[in-house]
Amino acid sequence: MKAHWIVGTVLVAGLGATANAQTSGGEVLAVFTKNQTNPFFQTFRLGAESAAKQLNAKVTHYIPTKPDSIPEQMSQIEDVIVKKPNAIIYIPVDYKAMVPGIQKMNAAKIPVINATDRSESGEFVSFVGASDYALALESSRILFKAMGGKGNVVALEGVKGTLTNTDRMRGFTDAVKQNPNIKVVASQPGNYQRLLALQVMENLMQSNPQIDGVFAANDAMASGVIEALEGAKRKALVVGINGTKEGVDAVVSGKMLATADYGGFMQGCLSTMIAVRHLRKQPVPKEVIFPPVVIDKSNAAKYSAPVETMACPAWADMPKG
Amino acid sequence: MTDHSAPSSNVQQVSGWSALPNSVRVTLLRLIALALIVLTLSLTSEAFLTSNNVLNVLRQTALLFLLASGLTIVILTAGLDLSVGANIGLSACLAATIIKSTGSISLALLAGMGSGFLIGLINGGLIAFLRIPPFIATYGMLWILHGVTYWFMGGETIHGFPADFRAIGSGYLWGIPIPVFLMLAFLLVGMIFLQRTRWGQDIYSVGANREAARLSGIPVNSRLVLAYVMSGLMAGLASLIFLARLNSAEGDIGEAMTLPAIAAVLIGGTSLFGGVGTITGTLIGALILTLVLNGMNLLSINASWQPLVTGVIVIAAVYFDNLSNKGDK
Repeated sequence: MKAHWIVGTVLVAGLGATANAQTSGGEVLAVFTKNQTNPFFQTFRLGAESAAKQLNAKVTHYIPTKPDSIPEQMSQIEDVIVKKPNAIIYIPVDYKAMVPGIQKMNAAKIPVINATDRSESGEFVSFVGASDYALALESSRILFKAMGGKGNVVALEGVKGTLTNTDRMRGFTDAVKQNPNIKVVASQPGNYQRLLALQVMENLMQSNPQIDGVFAANDAMASGVIEALEGAKRKALVVGINGTKEGVDAVVSGKMLATADYGGFMQGCLSTMIAVRHLRKQPVPKEVIFPPVVIDKSNAAKYSAPVETMACPAWADMPKG
Repeated sequence: MTDHSAPSSNVQQVSGWSALPNSVRVTLLRLIALALIVLTLSLTSEAFLTSNNVLNVLRQTALLFLLASGLTIVILTAGLDLSVGANIGLSACLAATIIKSTGSISLALLAGMGSGFLIGLINGGLIAFLRIPPFIATYGMLWILHGVTYWFMGGETIHGFPADFRAIGSGYLWGIPIPVFLMLAFLLVGMIFLQRTRWGQDIYSVGANREAARLSGIPVNSRLVLAYVMSGLMAGLASLIFLARLNSAEGDIGEAMTLPAIAAVLIGGTSLFGGVGTITGTLIGALILTLVLNGMNLLSINASWQPLVTGVIVIAAVYFDNLSNKGDK
């Protein structure tokens, strides 16, 4: 599985030129994701592949070798326009900076489905995503409920200034407002990084003798926080976001209270289905926002199955907006 | 042979401060900067000067110091190693895979160190024998290592290691974190290597003036390879502590460490132009950087201000030295 997407890319690249005219099978879809490091995008790509397989379409992946690189994704867009796939499934590495790239795709008259991070402008067939705000609001609520509505909370923020982090922190803050007996003793940046989150948590435990709950803006940071707590032999309830395999495992083993699932696999499935349906002149929704799925002890087993074995649900069972 | 930085200052016979060798003076000045940070934090945060927090800071410093100590040797040769973070990434992922599949801690240690060593050896070969500038060779290596790691991991995370292995990073001995012992051991080894061995002295000579070193019979190429091998090995060791501390491995695990490690070396008074610097200085540099994060967290400084505060303190710590050095130049 490890080299899966590379093989996919090589295999499919050769077909791009020939598959243009077909309308009921063999469509070539270019899938843009942000990096090879974040498991979310890995599950997204697997979702896209699963849907493509069901629908008899082909996907080619475009992933910047330097994670989230704006110039690299820009030049990949230029390459793709030359290759002329039937449709593009597009996650911008930056929701503002990539707008000129989207304009190029629009000018080349290739239908584009915007996924995960909503682009600031450009013409799209549909948008498929989840709301970071809702994910954070929901996981914070679950945390505060488990704390009995009172106690000291620490927040580990992501990268300041990114859309994702702004939305997630807004969700957290709104949940705090609804719980007057929850006290935020510290809110510090962990930049979505494991090591930094570990160190920040170690530091915060020095100045805060009592920490009852931790909200981490992603699972990698939550994992760092859990290591810090274990190292200090202290206990606190921890929630994360992303529903990564690691996060789900931590929920199953009881180290983590919950993680909110972004539905990477489902987003990959649905974006691909919409692209193919659009090409086959079938109706598609303009926008689908997946509702937040909170994974806790009650449903974790369902999510701990390896993503490679998952298959996309049928179109009829998909949320339509 | 304690003064590697300014041979000419040996000639002046001035009493007191100026009579001290330059490297000692720089170290003392860095210590004052460090002391000022410590003083400020102990006045502003009650939690700062507790034994718990002191051990906490030392444990956090250990990882940065170990990585930066290898880099110090490279920078002393007027070189640079930009691949240390990527080296950590690949070495950690290899060691993690091996510990997961074989369960053997010694094999994992061997894999992490071995991978670090090999990467250092290739860097050294590229720089010493193929004459590729250190920046380019190690920058290229960074990309190659990323490529290999991403392919190898396929976006996955490996987590959950045996407790015996994790002790390297999160365990204690006599109430003191194990990484702190490693830090002290390598500080001592580094000091002895640089000050008391022929090889260490050669490193300074190669960095100060490569041509002169060559003419005086120093095997310049093999010393360069030695420096990069040491940097690679220390990255390999750091990767193991990373794994043991974090209990998980992913492709970009070490990336955020490269610049702080280089900064720790430079803040510690080692010159990017080679030939000048000490391992003790690097420890002080690593301590300053770690204290900045610790202090900001303890004082709960707003996330929006943290990058700014970090930048100002780093520049101020070094400017402070220059200021006290003024009469000198």
